[in-house]
Amino acid sequence: MLVYVIGWLVLLVLLGLEIGSAFLHLGALGPAVQFCIAATQAAIVFILFMRLRGRASLKWIFAGAGFFWLLLLYGLSATDYATRLGFPTQP
Amino acid sequence: MTVLRPETQYATLAQQGEAAQLGMWAFLATEVLFFGGLIFTYFIYRAAYPADFANAARDTELWCGSVNAALLVTSSLSMVLAIEAAAMGRQRAVLFWLGITAVLGIAFLAIKGYEYAADYRHQLVPALNFLLKPGYRPPGELFWIFYFTATGLHAIHLTIGVALVLLMLVRARIGTIGPLYYAPLEVVGLYWSFVDIVWLFLFPALYLPGRG
Repeated sequence: MLVYVIGWLVLLVLLGLEIGSAFLHLGALGPAVQFCIAATQAAIVFILFMRLRGRASLKWIFAGAGFFWLLLLYGLSATDYATRLGFPTQP
Repeated sequence: MTVLRPETQYATLAQQGEAAQLGMWAFLATEVLFFGGLIFTYFIYRAAYPADFANAARDTELWCGSVNAALLVTSSLSMVLAIEAAAMGRQRAVLFWLGITAVLGIAFLAIKGYEYAADYRHQLVPALNFLLKPGYRPPGELFWIFYFTATGLHAIHLTIGVALVLLMLVRARIGTIGPLYYAPLEVVGLYWSFVDIVWLFLFPALYLPGRG
């Protein structure tokens, strides 16, 4: 039970850091920092609150499958946008 | 107390519970792709029109998004405490933590509703009353289309989650969820925490650009 409360406190501290970082002048680094914090928070929720910790590997495979396909989706779509001529169009 | 038996296709309640959880994980994998694709379009257009997205995002209600993020994170805690209580057979604690979870979810939706009303007053709703402010360019409206699509889909998911939590409250009360079999509660917990995770990614995407 204590481990869940600690995890919750860590999530709230990370949320505070994330909001604070938005008000610093970090430029392009800002979104990178914020989405890294979001990914850390997501990992904590997945492993702790969705109780993947110490579970059978089959559950990890099911949980990881979505992200594996998401990686393919992002990778292949990004190559399209990175090499497309005339994008973005100017308003 | 209701006597629990596994469905005919399962040998034991434990096996039935494992199958139910794997089923929810398979569903969540499709949800990862669903929301992941949505967020990918956001990344593409934010990278294409960074200044317009920063200007538009500055008009979101930061306190609403932040309080809602804290509410959902806390509800994930109360949800997992309900599951732990069910495993230990503490029926009153199950009802208490499920009640807290439902209240936190409803509070999230109430704040979201208040925020939508404020967005409408500020003429930020595309297709209804969107007004491009002087000095802003049209891609700003793209941000607001994404904002309403993403938060609307998330709110639908959360509404379903609240309904499921209330259903679990009823089932815990009549005794079909107990220390011997609480897989339905675990499955709802997986869904609930996943909806929380979606908000953890939508929050920095929608509320934090353009604040510095």
